[in-house]
Amino acid sequence: MTDLDRDGAPSTDPLREPFTPGMRSNPPELTELTRSDEIVPQVLIPLEDVKTREFVQEWRNAAYNCYSSGHKFCREVCPVVIETRNESYSPTAFHANVVGMERGELTVEDVAADYVNCTQCGACELRCPNTLFTGDFYRFRTRTVDVVKAARALAVDSGVHQEGYRSWNARTAERSHEPVLGETPVGQDTVRDWADGLDIPIGGETILFVDCEAAFYRTSVPRAVAQVLQKAGYEFGLMGEQWCCGGPAAEMGYVDQARAFAEHNMASWRATGTKRILVLDPHDYIAFTEDYPKYFGADFDLEVVLIVELFAEMIRDGRLVPDVPVDRAITYHDPCRLNKRKGIWKEPREVLRAIPGLRFEDVDRVTQWSYCSGAGGGLAVEKPELTAAISARRLSHAGALDVDTLVSACPWSERPLTEAGDDVDIDVLDIHELLATSLGIDGGGSRGETGDRRFAQVRSGPPGRARRASGEPGTADGSEPGTADGDG
Amino acid sequence: MTIMLEDVDEVVRALRTVLAEEQILTGRADRFNRARVPAPFPVHRWAERVPDVVVLPTSTEQVAAVVKIANGLRVPVVPRDGGTGLTDGAVPLRGGILIDVKRMNQVHELDLANRTVTVGTGINMLKLNEYLAPYGLFYPDDPASYPCSLVGGRIGTSGWSLIGARYGHTRDLVLSFDHVLPTGDIMHVGDGIGRKVSKSSSGYQLKHLFMGHQGTLGIATRATLKLFPKPEAELSPFWAFDNYDDAYACTGALARAGVATFAGAVLFDEHKVAYLRRDDEAYIPQPTDVRALVCAAMYGWDDEVRVGGKRLFRIAKEHGARYLGDEISEGDWAARHDRYATPLHGRTKDGQVVPMSWHCEDAAINYSALPSVTKAWHEIVADLRRRTDVFDDWGMFAYTSGSTGVDYLTEIDVGIWEQQLDDRAWAMWVDAKRRLARVALDHGGSISACHGSCREGEVDLVPEELGRGFDVMLDIKRTLDPNNIMNPGKYLLDRAYPQEG
Repeated sequence: MTDLDRDGAPSTDPLREPFTPGMRSNPPELTELTRSDEIVPQVLIPLEDVKTREFVQEWRNAAYNCYSSGHKFCREVCPVVIETRNESYSPTAFHANVVGMERGELTVEDVAADYVNCTQCGACELRCPNTLFTGDFYRFRTRTVDVVKAARALAVDSGVHQEGYRSWNARTAERSHEPVLGETPVGQDTVRDWADGLDIPIGGETILFVDCEAAFYRTSVPRAVAQVLQKAGYEFGLMGEQWCCGGPAAEMGYVDQARAFAEHNMASWRATGTKRILVLDPHDYIAFTEDYPKYFGADFDLEVVLIVELFAEMIRDGRLVPDVPVDRAITYHDPCRLNKRKGIWKEPREVLRAIPGLRFEDVDRVTQWSYCSGAGGGLAVEKPELTAAISARRLSHAGALDVDTLVSACPWSERPLTEAGDDVDIDVLDIHELLATSLGIDGGGSRGETGDRRFAQVRSGPPGRARRASGEPGTADGSEPGTADGDG
Repeated sequence: MTIMLEDVDEVVRALRTVLAEEQILTGRADRFNRARVPAPFPVHRWAERVPDVVVLPTSTEQVAAVVKIANGLRVPVVPRDGGTGLTDGAVPLRGGILIDVKRMNQVHELDLANRTVTVGTGINMLKLNEYLAPYGLFYPDDPASYPCSLVGGRIGTSGWSLIGARYGHTRDLVLSFDHVLPTGDIMHVGDGIGRKVSKSSSGYQLKHLFMGHQGTLGIATRATLKLFPKPEAELSPFWAFDNYDDAYACTGALARAGVATFAGAVLFDEHKVAYLRRDDEAYIPQPTDVRALVCAAMYGWDDEVRVGGKRLFRIAKEHGARYLGDEISEGDWAARHDRYATPLHGRTKDGQVVPMSWHCEDAAINYSALPSVTKAWHEIVADLRRRTDVFDDWGMFAYTSGSTGVDYLTEIDVGIWEQQLDDRAWAMWVDAKRRLARVALDHGGSISACHGSCREGEVDLVPEELGRGFDVMLDIKRTLDPNNIMNPGKYLLDRAYPQEG
């Protein structure tokens, strides 16, 4: 190898003998040269704070893999950055902060509030060249969502709280469910209210887990799901004593609480002999497929079934035959935790395409990497105005299409999307509800005040843009130049 | 000249008269995160390069007001757009106010008749093209950082476009722009004064002066850009060679062929192929006898690309090329933006995988000098590598610059183990940069074709490269920026001010 010659003069043409480190054919003097390296290794700056040191030790290499690249492909797909144009909130800044902390330049107090500005949608990870091309071959895959969760946990552990997060989690602990109804209490005594009159047994091998938002606020979703399952003859029960899945607490950094909730739920499943959990909420799906296996290891031997995948399978098998036409022109919002985090985007489309009468204007799921409702990752708790702005932007994309309805598959997204939809006269419905309608099921339940009001309205005219009061074609026709932020 | 803490309060008070509170950031994380660019950085000296205040203006008027305040208080101003540059233009060397233009990302006007678009300079090219797509138009400024760099940064660095051989580079594509001078005055600069004029003989050619100055002569805030029909067809053949010399000869022949739809060709040398084979998991494996690669790109209407493509294929065949097939060609060319950022790891000499930063040094080199420069540059990096595992040779590219093949963007990619950087390693690197630049000048080239040459190391040779022209730079800087507030410390322009030089 040319560049190993000790006298500095290449003996062969370096162009003709490129060097491949680590090859067995490399000359033995290589090892000697490595030993006498002039620089390596450098002593790390010792950090006095033990918690910060442990955090940095865990994340420093991952952070350097982003920092060292220094490219910011993530930036233009991040829903928070698209809205705020503040580089401090960019995914790459979240990694750079770790380097800053390692170097003793930044403390957890300096950075904690910035980490609020993330919905944990995962678009940044997908767009990162590191992930796109290298996969995880060297375990260097960019893991921004995990870094954000860990940084929030470090903050909580260090006594640096975000007031909204703190009170949200305190109320969640008090009620064993998230305070999704504000001052109106929720809890064990009301967690099954959504199922009134549906005659669903308690416990059993298969149980349906209903997230807090759906159980207490958007009850039309679990009611639709339960009745579709019943129509298909699928046996299931409700949990003996269901607590919040703990996922939001984990997302906000309240790790002990998240774990305690998980342990409670696990004990309840064990007590009722449960082997299978049906999940309608993408956030729960993340908690049960990512968090719980971390908590319990091999002991977590339950099967986790995502309802929308189950319904797609049932339609494929002919167990469900949607035959009532639905008179709407829709587009589909890929929930972040399905499309971006889990790669689930085909099945929802299968369900929608099976519904007769529906005009479906699809938006490519990759284009949707930069879309988000803004409701995830606790953002809405600390920065509801930012969530609202992200939802409004999502609806403006829908508004450019010839549709009257935006369909989502995530109850958490549906509240802010519905509010934003009201401004542009677009209904926001849930995919499970829509399927139920096409199966002739009138599910009942609530879509919240705005959703119920809109749903009760009588619509006339052909489905699509014409049905909207505003009827504006949006920016795509060029009449109103605006911000180019990701609509294609 | 870095302003002291008590002065920061005074600056913030003044800024509050022209900006909303939430447009003024003073937090440590806000400032540290606007102090770096992708080029490896003396991370152990990060604290020396942070701004004192960050502002997020939304209009030309706000930018002008901030610059006026800075000029009045003699506070340094550093413009920052995408922050993807490789020569530290967006890195503050003396603290001061950092003007982050990302909120100026509106599309102000789309003129379909004259085929131009007027945008805020904080807009990203990929986002702009998503906006333009429904009209069948596109803006063909295509750097490797296309998904994240911004129009304003392209102007400030006079950036390079990968498909510049077909459409021109940034300087050709930007018709005119609003520009805030270091005194806070607003001017419009184009060919002549025309907002949508592409060629004028009226007056000095000022447009070029206000491009590529790395933020030392002010800040572009609103730009009018030339648009083209969105190409109907794209052809990007990858050809393999069993030796560098044939690949080199082929690249030259392709560039000289005069095919109108030819958008560029890239030559990968043997080190690059070895590096991709060794460490780029996305690289589609090639037989071991592949030692060099050439990728050409053509854009245009389907019928013209087909005909031009046949000619290029014929030329390649005559030079011993082996076509690698549609899958590899399309896949690898599609990855051209992503691949440049892919190598987030390198290897020590004994093969251990470690996190490494990617850095590339570039120069403008005449075709005839390419083999000699390639060899000399690899030897410089081999010397670094002989001394420490901090550096790794990731090979070289040569890109055609224009349609005639006269000169090439010549680039060597170096992996740098940034976690291990200290003063010794940094000094080693800066010295290597100086040597790389020296090679370029000795071969009749220019120190940079693409990134600019204002960073530690190569900048030392700029006065030599420009000769009397460098004194003109000093005269201009002194005249336009009497108080040396615009991005001070860059390009050795402190020499324009006797008390600081």
